[in-house]
Amino acid sequence: MKNYLKIIFLIFIFIHNGLTNAESILIQNVTIFDGKTNNPYVGNVLIEDNKISRVSSSNMRGDKVIDATGKILTPGIIATDTDIGIVEIGALSVTRDDSSDLYQIGFSIYDAFNPNSVLIPWNRSNGITSAMTLPQNTDSPIGGLGSFFVLDSNIEVSGIKDNVMIGRVGGSGSKSRSETFAVIEDLLEFASSLNLKDMESYKDIADLIGDSPIAESMDLHPRDIKALYNLVNNDLPLIINANRASDLLKLIDLKLKYDLNLIIMGAQEAGLVADKIAKNNIPLIINPINNIPESFDELAANIELAAYLENQGITLMFNAPRSHNFHLIRQGAGVAVANGMSYAGALRALTSSPVEVFNLGDRGEIVAGKVADLIIWDADPLEPSSMPEKVFINGKDIDLTSRMTRLTDRYIKNKDKPSIYRN
Amino acid sequence: MTKLIIKYLFLIFVGFIYTDPFESTYEPLPPENILIKNGNIYDGEGNEFLQTDLLIQDRQIIAIGKDLPVSTNFRTIDATNKWITPGIIDIHSHMGVYPAPGVSTSADGNEATSPVTADVWAEHSIWVQDPQYALALKGGVTAFHILPGSANLIGGRGVTVKNLQRNTINSMKFPNAPHSLKMACGENPKRVYGNRQQAPSTRMGNAAGYRKSWIEAEAYLSTLVEYEEKSDAAKELAYKPQRNLEMDTLAGVLRGEILVHNHCYRAEEMATMINIAKEFNYKITAFHHGVEAYKIADLLAENNICGALWADWWGFKHEAYDMVQANIAIVDQALGGKGCAIVHSDDAIGIQHLNQEASKALAAGLRAGFDITKARAMNWITSNPAKAAGIYDQTGSLKVGKNADVVIWSKNPFSVYALVEKVFIDGATAYDRSTNFQPASDFDVGIISPEKNRIEE
Repeated sequence: MKNYLKIIFLIFIFIHNGLTNAESILIQNVTIFDGKTNNPYVGNVLIEDNKISRVSSSNMRGDKVIDATGKILTPGIIATDTDIGIVEIGALSVTRDDSSDLYQIGFSIYDAFNPNSVLIPWNRSNGITSAMTLPQNTDSPIGGLGSFFVLDSNIEVSGIKDNVMIGRVGGSGSKSRSETFAVIEDLLEFASSLNLKDMESYKDIADLIGDSPIAESMDLHPRDIKALYNLVNNDLPLIINANRASDLLKLIDLKLKYDLNLIIMGAQEAGLVADKIAKNNIPLIINPINNIPESFDELAANIELAAYLENQGITLMFNAPRSHNFHLIRQGAGVAVANGMSYAGALRALTSSPVEVFNLGDRGEIVAGKVADLIIWDADPLEPSSMPEKVFINGKDIDLTSRMTRLTDRYIKNKDKPSIYRN
Repeated sequence: MTKLIIKYLFLIFVGFIYTDPFESTYEPLPPENILIKNGNIYDGEGNEFLQTDLLIQDRQIIAIGKDLPVSTNFRTIDATNKWITPGIIDIHSHMGVYPAPGVSTSADGNEATSPVTADVWAEHSIWVQDPQYALALKGGVTAFHILPGSANLIGGRGVTVKNLQRNTINSMKFPNAPHSLKMACGENPKRVYGNRQQAPSTRMGNAAGYRKSWIEAEAYLSTLVEYEEKSDAAKELAYKPQRNLEMDTLAGVLRGEILVHNHCYRAEEMATMINIAKEFNYKITAFHHGVEAYKIADLLAENNICGALWADWWGFKHEAYDMVQANIAIVDQALGGKGCAIVHSDDAIGIQHLNQEASKALAAGLRAGFDITKARAMNWITSNPAKAAGIYDQTGSLKVGKNADVVIWSKNPFSVYALVEKVFIDGATAYDRSTNFQPASDFDVGIISPEKNRIEE
């Protein structure tokens, strides 16, 4: 009898959940910035299951209707340069999973990702729905693998494993950048010589390392070699952090020689060589608010860089300092617009451009068929004072509570009770 | 009689050298007579005046009102639809002592060789050619307070400067600004010295360290006072106490002449520092960073201590983990609006956008349910930091008789799209976006292309 009840209960739960999942959501009469095209328009967006099923200015019906008259709808914002999920507290090494002593080129952070990090609800409540998480730079000038993560706080992590390699060149204080470029070239030369048929067993790869002076002297491991192979043969995106104009040109040479899928990050002096960056279709990740000549590689840092590069036809994405508030790429985008960049261009940098550059699947735009990662804003999303009113990830209306909103409530509400007995 | 006068003058002279051997030699730019017409004003005193004129003459604000009459020798600036604010003031900057480029040869902000270095003065580390000053000027910053870093329990003296780059430090110093003392709680001192197997290595070690120093300072001060109170005849018979640079600074705090600026993140540590200040009878002017200030906002207000805070920085250290974006608003609204909140930067990028930082803090406060006007939030980056730097009698708000430190913004400064169009320091144009009139440090000259300045590339 008990089992019988249990089964009925389970069936009920199943049906109930099934119905809940199938419930469509209609966002009505909202101003749509689709993340791609230049001009916003007022329309209706229907979410079914996890997808945007229809976008239209004509009337539609949905199970649940959200009237968003006067509000702005954008795709969920995608941050391309974060340590979300692998660094909880910067100065506390026991909470850091962003570096390896052993692996260099093939070091992956994917298995370290913590979907319960407090950074996730906070950045999400500020509009970031998915992010690329990158390790620290390794001892190798190219190496370390980043992954893409959907910030839905689901304990079953979803994303794209090891979808990007990172690297860095420039003034290091210890060795000539000429050595750095030579090492990269030697590694790429070695990578170009690799064949899958010679890499079938661990022993095979160990032999390859033994035969390669650069691989042997850098103490590379088979997992490093596999990553190198992917870089050259599988078009793995390579984000190199570089700033000085001459370094950017050298990277362009390497891209052409080895047919690399190159993205340059930092790029403070890109304005000096913008024509060549544009001609070779190299996307950039820049921090548009950073105009400090922080090193001798960054002397041309300028607050108008984003606008200038956009005018040259260069694909842009934005980053912010790597300390917890990755949503501040919105403020950076606002500063870029204040200093001459187009509004639609700044929004593309936060939404559709990362998807196109890093192949992040059907997201980053508000058109039928895309994943429903959407944000309804309380005001202009590029004003740092604005916040999302609603965030949808995979079509789900996500609660916007964070540890920060909880702590705020604790200290302004129910003040008659000691704080430890408040909510 | 003449002898007496000479002796008197000599004593003044000696006293002058003794008390301030590095006095400000600041000279403003040539004064202009300016009518800023029909602008919208946040006066830094919590008021908003729409479509109002502001009159500048002889380096001062001489009138604020509607349709002010002027003679023809005033330059008129039409500020219709624009916004006017006091010059922005940053109470926490390391420009000059941690200049750009950030290279070891100029990173002079932290004398991290002993936990108590009350003898060092940040002003002696300033590199006057730091290219960051000009960037801050384009963000409307007319004065800023430079502090030593936070490695030490007692890190040394801070200095307030005008944001007008000059070839000597003395000529940048804000005239008659009091000196300040940097103190630091928490993780930094205990980490820096603990890692060297010396005290302090714990928070209790930190507390003991401050108290030992104040005990020494009390003894030094009483010896000094005892000597000072002697008659001239008795003074000739007594030995003059030998000066001690460290104790000079600490005694200056105990005398109420030097303002204490205390880096402190955690609520309970701020409360401990208040206890120590009471034990030794000195005043803390402001807690800096105070990520947990919201937990003890009333306590800060009761003790007239400002919270100099970020809008949203967090997570880089354990003591910075409990961030709430309403921190600044909660501190502001303590005891029914008696709190003193300051938005600080501690950052050469942040200092250029303090208006945006205030905007984020205000928005968070409104979301938390507080009723705070933009005009009041403007105080967080103008009059409140001016008070904490001890220069409020001269600047920090648009009041008749004050220095004409004035910013004209293209739009409401609480918008990210607002750009600084003009900055006046002491009634003289320091920056003008429309004519591209802007300072360039020697560092900027010909450093990329010989024929250009850095920023023009």
